[in-house]
Amino acid sequence: MPDLPELDPVVHGRLRLALLSLLSCVEEAEFTWLRAKTKATDGNLGAQLLKLEQAGYVAVEKKFVRRKPQTLYRITESGRQALAHYVQALRRLLGPAVDK
Amino acid sequence: MPEDTTELRERLSIIESMIAEGRRSTESWGSTFVLWGVAYYVAMAWSGWGHTAWAWPLTISIAVVLTIVLAFSKTRSHARTTLGRAIGSIWIALGISMFLLFFALGLTGRLTDRHLFVAVISAILGMANGASALILRWKVQLGCAVVWWAAAVATCFGSDTQSVIIFLVAIFLCQIVFGIYGMIANTQGRARQAPLHA
Repeated sequence: MPDLPELDPVVHGRLRLALLSLLSCVEEAEFTWLRAKTKATDGNLGAQLLKLEQAGYVAVEKKFVRRKPQTLYRITESGRQALAHYVQALRRLLGPAVDK
Repeated sequence: MPEDTTELRERLSIIESMIAEGRRSTESWGSTFVLWGVAYYVAMAWSGWGHTAWAWPLTISIAVVLTIVLAFSKTRSHARTTLGRAIGSIWIALGISMFLLFFALGLTGRLTDRHLFVAVISAILGMANGASALILRWKVQLGCAVVWWAAAVATCFGSDTQSVIIFLVAIFLCQIVFGIYGMIANTQGRARQAPLHA
């Protein structure tokens, strides 16, 4: 995307952006909660969360609760900063159109 | 570059809608309100017609067990938020207070002054609804708190029958109607969501 040089490509993906936005306002969230909120498929959601994890934007914790596997995700400090920078860049690119 | 602007606007709207979605309570709490409304009706009818001191302690105990079962059935998919914990703490503290108070009062047979009973229970429910409404800045729930507070004051001035009617009306408005409203709002919120793709 040549017109958008300042936008972080990891954050820019629709689903990844949605996931970072969701995680930015909770302490931690289960995979199933993220799936319910985004209505994404298991495979797509897992792949996008893995990309965010590899970029260091989300941290994952896997554990067992009442013998059932539970995967918890939380946004990292660099993930929070990446989202904030993305929003700032977005607002700069949109300029006055942002409030219309 | 109108397409780019549209796409960028869409990104902003994704951020806004997802943040709003994340802040929305994940629990379908409406059913819990209805459950407790029905529990109050059952306990009142049982204690009134059955003339037993066990009506309130037993009904409240059953309602507590059902609430715990409902809560556990919803923990399969959740997100933890500070706001959620604050609201949850208020209602857990209310549940413990009500359980201990009415269990002890019921067992010792001191639930005889109907005015005092309705005033106390209404004031406690007004406090919990008011605190929750102020945290969430939610006018509908603040309306429920006002109804409970009005019921607490009004019952002190009315007759025995008027006191019962005031309590029944407050339960209907603030538990049954508010609970059903919550269930409908929750269902509509889920239906509005569109699937997101990468």
